[in-house]
Amino acid sequence: MIFNSLTFLVFFALVLALHNMPFSWHQKKINLMIASYLFYAAWNPPFVILLWVSTVVDWWAAQWMVRAKRERTRRMWMLTSVIVNLGMLGYFKYGGFLLDNFVTIAASLGIIYHPPGWDIVLPVGISFYTFATLSYTLDVYLRRSAPAGSFLNYALFVTFFPHLVAGPIMRPTELVPQFETPRRANANQIFFGLALLTLGLFQKVVLADGFLAPVVEAVYDAHGQVPGMLDSWVATLAFAGQIFCDFAGYSTSAIGVALCLGFAMPDNFRFPYGAIGFSDFWRRWHITLSSWLRDYLYIPLGGNRHGHARTYAALMGTMLLGGLWHGANWTFVVWGGLHGLYLSTERWLRARFKGSTPGRASLLGFALLTFFLVNITWVFFRARTFAGAGVVLTGMAGMAAKPDPLIAGGPMIIAIAIVSGIFGTHLAMRDTTLEAVIERTPSIALASIWTLLLFAVIIEQGQGSAFIYFAF
Amino acid sequence: MPSSISPSDARKAEVGGTREGALPPGLRKTAADRPGQAQPVPTRDIPLRPWAEIGASVFLAVALLMTAWEWQARTRIGLRAGDIDDSPQAWAEQRRLADSAPVTIVGDSRILFDTDLDRFQAMTGIRPVQTAIVGTNARALLETYANDRKFHGLLIVGLADLSFFRPEGVGLGGSYLKGFSRSGKPSQLSGLWLDRWLQRHLAFMDGEYRLSRWILHADHGIRKGAYGPYDDVWKISEVFDHRQYFMWDRIETDAYLRDHARHAWNVFKGPPLPPFIARNVIARSAEAVRRIRVRGGDVIFIRPPSAPELRAIEDKRLPRAQGWDLLLAAARAKGIHADDLPQAQNLVVPEWSHLNHKCATVFTDAYVRRLVQLTGRLKLRADAPPPLSRADCVSPATPAAAKPA
Repeated sequence: MIFNSLTFLVFFALVLALHNMPFSWHQKKINLMIASYLFYAAWNPPFVILLWVSTVVDWWAAQWMVRAKRERTRRMWMLTSVIVNLGMLGYFKYGGFLLDNFVTIAASLGIIYHPPGWDIVLPVGISFYTFATLSYTLDVYLRRSAPAGSFLNYALFVTFFPHLVAGPIMRPTELVPQFETPRRANANQIFFGLALLTLGLFQKVVLADGFLAPVVEAVYDAHGQVPGMLDSWVATLAFAGQIFCDFAGYSTSAIGVALCLGFAMPDNFRFPYGAIGFSDFWRRWHITLSSWLRDYLYIPLGGNRHGHARTYAALMGTMLLGGLWHGANWTFVVWGGLHGLYLSTERWLRARFKGSTPGRASLLGFALLTFFLVNITWVFFRARTFAGAGVVLTGMAGMAAKPDPLIAGGPMIIAIAIVSGIFGTHLAMRDTTLEAVIERTPSIALASIWTLLLFAVIIEQGQGSAFIYFAF
Repeated sequence: MPSSISPSDARKAEVGGTREGALPPGLRKTAADRPGQAQPVPTRDIPLRPWAEIGASVFLAVALLMTAWEWQARTRIGLRAGDIDDSPQAWAEQRRLADSAPVTIVGDSRILFDTDLDRFQAMTGIRPVQTAIVGTNARALLETYANDRKFHGLLIVGLADLSFFRPEGVGLGGSYLKGFSRSGKPSQLSGLWLDRWLQRHLAFMDGEYRLSRWILHADHGIRKGAYGPYDDVWKISEVFDHRQYFMWDRIETDAYLRDHARHAWNVFKGPPLPPFIARNVIARSAEAVRRIRVRGGDVIFIRPPSAPELRAIEDKRLPRAQGWDLLLAAARAKGIHADDLPQAQNLVVPEWSHLNHKCATVFTDAYVRRLVQLTGRLKLRADAPPPLSRADCVSPATPAAAKPA
């Protein structure tokens, strides 16, 4: 089930009530685990088996790793965990993609091969929980942390429903300790958690789905026609707003839901469109994924400790694979590659101009440049094909001959207003936190804003559309 | 207070999970700040505000606003509780029933609006399964039943010529068909039940009057040449159980909404259809009919009425002789054209494309009486209600703007 559904509201109310009943802490954890399995099974009950496989394999791999006396045995158990997890991910997510590419390559060699259709349903959230469970065995293997002391705590870490299907991608060391002692939210935590849930739903239901998605679709799904410059840019900017509101909305909701239950989840977004440069952007956008890739891919690939060439290669490799994580399509690889290129260029420029301190105007210019270049990458993220991306990029370059207008005036004005608001807010809040700003805001203003957001969510109703990142 | 928290206090708080009071900027770390190490329990700082009081006042204010919103939805917009939205899930629910149903309907919005399922059942004892979809090519739906080995009932294909005779594309029902094989999941079913339960009690829950659509109704073509919200079809129907559609009565009484609905049918304007398109559609339809018959099923086509203003456009683009008549001949299928039903002449078609509620019942009565003559699969019940006529839905008090077509 998804956060913006009536089913979830009923489910969450029941879970919250159950969590506040006078059960033992052990019983409450079992309740949470059963609820989490129900949450996941509501999509497709058989896929719960994948969760069990991932949970059990990684639990035992870590246990045997700790008991192993030889380094080779430890490595074998770590590889077992990696192969099982990435094997499941590869089969379900990349099987069709690999097969298509194999057929294309074979055809280019003159071999005509017609494989049977690959109609495999992608288990929702598999990319997220695979990374979460992998971090457990990898941390144990790298001796960054000890294995969890209780199977129940570990299994609950894997399945805990607020983060299960779309993150934030949590590490066991972030969550397992929270299951060791009884937790129950006080009134402040519950109400602030509900306020965060409202904010997240407002971003998703009202901004992303209600106002921005139709503007994006008007251009990106208008097959064949090269759009005009204005339409192309507005649609791409609208997608920048949509993807942020969709995904940050989910993360904010997840954090709010966990808070209502008394648990702390990490920030996943920190006003990313206020970033100055791309290393700053990746410290603010999907933080739990970028730090996962840094800790388990970039650093093991050599990081920045083995010379410039190796650093750039590690950076590009990490971002290309990070792109592929988002979807089994070469357009995602190009998206990751562009970010890798940006990061590499920025790294080179920082070394070249080391010691220079830009002024406020320059910083604003860099922020605008960063936002501009991020938007170029979003074209590849949103377009489903290179041809589609080429059409929009051609439009953005103003090369369409006598284009027909595609976006109506009203939706265009609203989309521009929303994206400008997001960009301005991110710039203004890049050095602070939402909590710090809220603490300075008068209660009456907070109550008014919360009322308006909640009212807007209810009357927008929502169509129960899935979050974009569920497909990743 | 936050200003009194020292960095060391903040770091201690970092491993404590939730904490009261917002941390000063820069002190709430994320994984981005701790490369290559096990990440500690994150910090969630709760701003020092009277949250319980704020929360209580918010819920009170929202309750008041919702009451006012529901009131204006009922009185100003004319929405009704019990008008339940259609959805891919609601369609999938009916589509699953079709495999074992004796009679199933497919088509576009005309057969959807113009069939009174209760009347059909009262006359024949059989309630057809309604799987027509607004804005959807009936031929594409027909082919899905041809491909469904489990289907062996009577399929009533309702068609609007310009929707049926188009080269490719399913139309608005594309997402319904695409998601069907993955429908019926627990979360989808529970969502459908809850949504219906709420819509039986709340009028404002209408997809056509949700916030974003409502605001964008104000755009009457600000940007010339762009297809905008005003060009879309707005709410013209009410939907009840079993996907029973009827025309929304405000279309009959509100000139602005009626004129808008008529404006939306500009989409039907265009040059005459090239003959090869009709030939292609007819060939595909005939093949689909043949495959259904091979399995023991049958197909009957129905062409519901449209108002003269729209009919002129339809006939200009595809005359009956080049579409409907050729289709029946090629498919060796039986059909009921509204032109051929004496009781279905000059019914009320307020926005030129769909009958009003009462006339939908009259039209259903007329076509079912013809249907039982065309197929042995349906019989008129001995206790069937007496025939209806135009007089049952066109009263002398019919508003001028909604005069019979």
